Amino acid sequence: MNRLSRIWAETKASWHSFLRQRTAIFFTFGFPLLLVGIFGVIVQTDPTGAGLFARPVGYYVPGYLAVIVLFTPLSRIGSTVARYRDRRQFEKLATTPLSGAEWLGAHTIVNTGIILLASGLVLAVLMALTDAQITLSLFLVPFIVAGVVVFVGLGAILGRIADSRDGVIAASNSVALPLVFLSDTFVAPDQLPAWGSLLIELSPLTYFARGVRQVTYQQAPATSELLVLVGFAILFFVLGAVAVPQPD
Amino acid sequence: MTPAVSADGVSKDYGDTVALSDVSISVSSGEIFVLVGPNGAGKTTLVRALTGTIEPDEGLVSVLETPVNDTDPSRIGLLPQSFAPHDRLTASELLEYYAGLYDQSLAVSKVLSDVGLTAASETRYVNLSGGQKRRVCVGSALINDPEVLFLDEPTTGIDPVGRRSVWSLLDALSDNGATIVLTTHDMAEAATLGDRVALLDDGELVESGSPGSLIDQYGGDSVLRIETEETLSEAQIGQFEGDVEQSPSGLQIRNVQPDTIGQFVTQLNELEVRYGSITWTEPSLEDAYLQLTGNDSLGSATGYRKSSAYSDP
Repeated sequence: MNRLSRIWAETKASWHSFLRQRTAIFFTFGFPLLLVGIFGVIVQTDPTGAGLFARPVGYYVPGYLAVIVLFTPLSRIGSTVARYRDRRQFEKLATTPLSGAEWLGAHTIVNTGIILLASGLVLAVLMALTDAQITLSLFLVPFIVAGVVVFVGLGAILGRIADSRDGVIAASNSVALPLVFLSDTFVAPDQLPAWGSLLIELSPLTYFARGVRQVTYQQAPATSELLVLVGFAILFFVLGAVAVPQPD
Repeated sequence: MTPAVSADGVSKDYGDTVALSDVSISVSSGEIFVLVGPNGAGKTTLVRALTGTIEPDEGLVSVLETPVNDTDPSRIGLLPQSFAPHDRLTASELLEYYAGLYDQSLAVSKVLSDVGLTAASETRYVNLSGGQKRRVCVGSALINDPEVLFLDEPTTGIDPVGRRSVWSLLDALSDNGATIVLTTHDMAEAATLGDRVALLDDGELVESGSPGSLIDQYGGDSVLRIETEETLSEAQIGQFEGDVEQSPSGLQIRNVQPDTIGQFVTQLNELEVRYGSITWTEPSLEDAYLQLTGNDSLGSATGYRKSSAYSDP
């Protein structure tokens, strides 16, 4: 109960802080909409079957969701870690009963809430503005939650490694952009060289994209993808929790 | 008596920089222990070592009779230097947040009242004045009603009235048994609050003691300066009691007690010596600090000492 109340206190503070930053809200929800607007509505699928978007829109829905699940927690947590460190908040928290795992758990909850909202928005826009043929399922939720946990953990690690907020942003971009292309999201494995296919299998985002595609587009079971993703989530959460808070 | 806080032979290096070198202190329960020293002297590093937020390279730290890393965090409170909490939460929300991290805490309204922020309780941190922000931060260190309180420059940026209210608050906490370790650059704060003051310089503990004992030992003499409009003869100077020197601006007499100043005024009048002003300065903790840090010449040159001035009517 006490652990829960500590996590709740951190969650509440972080959630209220987020809700009071207009630009953060605008870009958090505006970025995925921009993505959908450019690629889903303006570029669209090439009817000749050539180019980047050679398949039906529904095939790429996991890609749009993957971008949100990847970029948002990675950059948010990385910069949050840097901000807490710069403002000596970790030093203060290190002398309270709040543990690193509890802190990360609280921020995972906040990011999960944000990303569930953003994902819902993207799905609604895709369905409203494109002819995406997708199946909505509650099975999407555990994929999104597990995906968020993975990248919250990775964001915490990047926040620990980078020594400034600028460093965190650069590190997040350097990690996230290759992952988008190496995770079976918008670029199919057969479009990549052999080494690319190997990297795809090592990326947690691959299992998110494949699982979500099976749920929303192929209507196929995705339990094994979810289990692998949960495995990654546990690993990255533990590593992330060890990475913060570290005031020294 | 078992100390509430103790450090034994604590050393800490950052690369080639020696932040702390074999520092040992012992703070009794209920004591206000003040760390002073120049910028970079190692005060903040010592506070971090005492709170377990850094690991010393050598030495042992214990708080409330246990190694610091095993101390129940709900029994200690910390205000780090340059600490800044969430910008967009109100003062009240911030204290609720920190209260929520503990199993038991003081009422938020009480702490807001104690730090003088009741009227600003619904103002977001980002919109508070510098002094109000610092008081919220002090409140965050008090919210769990700690037995040992570590405050790294708690009154920086607070106006004189607010500073005095923080002093009163800390005094009251100490009277109720709380042990307080604080750092400051304000010698008046150190002299007013401190039961004992320790001077750190270049990572080493140079001296510690009560403010009075440090002043007695290192503060130098009280000085009476009389600005005269003429040079006195040897015979005239001989009329005065005490260690009298003549300078171009007048007379300088050491070790004069305030209640004897009147006698000097009477003698000046009897000798028909015209004078401009009479200034008496007593040694302060700042003089002791400057002496101990090897910067006493600065103090003498600027005459920056606690003083009482009298003018020729």
